[in-house]
Amino acid sequence: MNVFARPAPEGAGDAIVVRGLTKLFGGRPAVDHVSFRVARGRFFGFLGPNGAGKSTTIKMLTGLLRPTEGEVFIEGHPLERELLAVKRLIGILPEELPLYERLTGEEYLHFAGRMYGLSREETRRRTDELLAFLSLEEERGKLIVDYSQGMRKKTALAAALIHSPRVLFLDEPLNGIDPVSGRVVTDLLRRLAQKGVTMFFTSHVLDVAERLCDEVAIIDRGRLVAQGTLAQIRAQREVAQDASLEDVFLKLVAADVKRQDLSWIG
Amino acid sequence: MDRLIALIVTRWRMELRTMRRARERAVGLALLLPGLLFSSLLGAVLAYGGVRAVKAHDPDLLLPLLSLVATGVGLSWVLSPLLTGVAFSESHDVSRLLHFPLPLPTLVVASLVGNLLQPMVLAALPILVSLSLALSRNLFALPFALAGSLLSLAFLLAAAQAGALVLHGLSRQRRFQDLAVFVVIGFGFVMSVLPVLLLSGGARVLGTIARGLAAGNLVALSPFAWGLRAAVHAGRGDALGFTGWATAEAAAIVAAGGLSARLIERIHRGELELGRGGAAAASTPAVMALPGQVGALLEKDLRVAWRDPATKATLFLSCATPLFWLLVFTRTSGGLSAGGLLVLSMLVGASAFGNAFGLEGRGLGLLLGFPAPRWRVLLAKNLTGFALRLPGLLTLLVMGSLLAPPVLLPAAATIAVCTFLIAAGGDNYASILFPIVAPRPGRNPYGGPAAGSRGLAAAALGALFFAGTLVLASPFVFLGWLPMLLERPSLWLLSLPLALAGAAAMYAMLVAGAARLLARREPELLERVLSEA
Repeated sequence: MNVFARPAPEGAGDAIVVRGLTKLFGGRPAVDHVSFRVARGRFFGFLGPNGAGKSTTIKMLTGLLRPTEGEVFIEGHPLERELLAVKRLIGILPEELPLYERLTGEEYLHFAGRMYGLSREETRRRTDELLAFLSLEEERGKLIVDYSQGMRKKTALAAALIHSPRVLFLDEPLNGIDPVSGRVVTDLLRRLAQKGVTMFFTSHVLDVAERLCDEVAIIDRGRLVAQGTLAQIRAQREVAQDASLEDVFLKLVAADVKRQDLSWIG
Repeated sequence: MDRLIALIVTRWRMELRTMRRARERAVGLALLLPGLLFSSLLGAVLAYGGVRAVKAHDPDLLLPLLSLVATGVGLSWVLSPLLTGVAFSESHDVSRLLHFPLPLPTLVVASLVGNLLQPMVLAALPILVSLSLALSRNLFALPFALAGSLLSLAFLLAAAQAGALVLHGLSRQRRFQDLAVFVVIGFGFVMSVLPVLLLSGGARVLGTIARGLAAGNLVALSPFAWGLRAAVHAGRGDALGFTGWATAEAAAIVAAGGLSARLIERIHRGELELGRGGAAAASTPAVMALPGQVGALLEKDLRVAWRDPATKATLFLSCATPLFWLLVFTRTSGGLSAGGLLVLSMLVGASAFGNAFGLEGRGLGLLLGFPAPRWRVLLAKNLTGFALRLPGLLTLLVMGSLLAPPVLLPAAATIAVCTFLIAAGGDNYASILFPIVAPRPGRNPYGGPAAGSRGLAAAALGALFFAGTLVLASPFVFLGWLPMLLERPSLWLLSLPLALAGAAAMYAMLVAGAARLLARREPELLERVLSEA
């Protein structure tokens, strides 16, 4: 059931407004009339089981996939008609990291800065700061093809931040990052949210989402089944007030975690 | 034994299913089989006739000659995965089985036996039978001669397996893989022009080398030939010679199998993964030196191209190819005519089928994620194409200046640039509407969307665009050629700038239209490329 029975009007305070977003693949809906809005400066978690439609939704919100139906507004700009204007405002950290592997990390950040229209001096300053902040300084001269998964992720995050975006789309940002870097990244994301940057965040790790997000939406089989703060969702769905996000999530996506034992084990 | 049979049957079943489910592979096999059958029968006839002739005229030459041929065939078989690029892209099938509790010798034997059904292996059997027949002086000797020949084939397969594992292990080191890809492309180019070089007198040199090797009998040390040596001795009725060489070949097979098992074990434990090959920190500043978004895009592409071994090799070949053709021109017609130079310039300029967005693969999502105006993206891609073709064009002009009147060079350069502008402008539409997605690094270079009927369609499309480019560029080529036709060289001062201006105007129109098309079709293009890459 969609918690938004009525379409949400795009307001001045909303960073992301999504109305009736639908994507059909071969006639089958991967995302089915999804509507939600994210207020500016919120840390918004977009959660769902595998194959629920999270990645398809994030691709449509960032202009990588044309919706079959529906509208998306980013910071008041209609995505369909003002694609380039939207791309100036957003930063994207995709789950798969299609970086230019034959550039060094430093070269890639310089390239990204220039592509966002930053001056050479500003690009250099921000690159140096980002490399130091994300502990990539020693690896700055290595080709990305020789980077570990965690280093690639940090490089992609640095590129997504270099132009100071107003909305950040983060698809599984903490996958493959060591705990120390994970803490650095989550602290950074929190600070960005406090400064008014809107975070659209997907993760399979529900306790991370619970710690970081002001608000979550849960998608299952292409349909939005809940949206709001954890307290709101608990109240809407009559879940115990001390229930964790994981309990709420499992209840909403109707995941039957009780199974019979395997007869040959034990 | 159950596990061994299960492994072999599963392998054959998977290969059959691959063919059943991929029409282009089934069609390829249907086309390949008659050719293979013909070449196998021809090989059998030649082997029989050749052995009989050598036995009749110079029996002492038989052993070294057969050993030389077996060694040549064996080495090319072992290195063939490297030459086709497959060794560096496909993981060896045993690596997927390593987490099962299977003894390594079982894996090695299963892989070897699984290879027996390969068409190339089956095609070798008639040749070995006819060879054994030719070697045997009576029917009693035939089974022994055949056993010796089959031992050679078995060693060849075992050596090929060990060789593929070595390549697979080494390919995990990025620097080695880059170097090998670069060298192999160059080697492939040399092999492709080898027939022409042989026709121009190189065959004599090769013949001298082969005779030297055979005379020194160095090839007796080659285990590829030990089985065949056993077959020769069996054919002569020399039981001791047969037993000695056959035992040596059997030991070599066991050693190759043991080496394979050891290699599998080392690959499994990561001991052949020679590190990630991390580069030392770059001493030069990483700043993008070229100005603006177009400059950054161009510089990015050039840096990536220079560090990508395949693109770098192509860059060198773009210089070697005009040199080669100019060499052929001079040897066949005694010189390069003025018309010949202008036609060559046009052809070099028109070969701008770049498939820029298809080659970006998954990086396209990254590229189009930046808010750069799309005409700048297209312009940068075209400039990259021009920069990568520039060395070839300059080589052509330098060589042309030595072989044709220097007064033609400005016209040749103008014609090449005009044709390139039209070709690049048109190629943008092909990149947007029909991107041919390149397989990801580490995947089979011959698989994926570029293979089969899509690959054929791409080739047809490329030919169509090439023809279209020649038609569209013809007014500007005509302007470059007209002063020569009228025998008034001074007219070039007017006609060449006019041709360049016209081609530039047409290019600007083509890019503007392509940018509008890209803005409209961007999500569809991304969806297609990202889903196929």
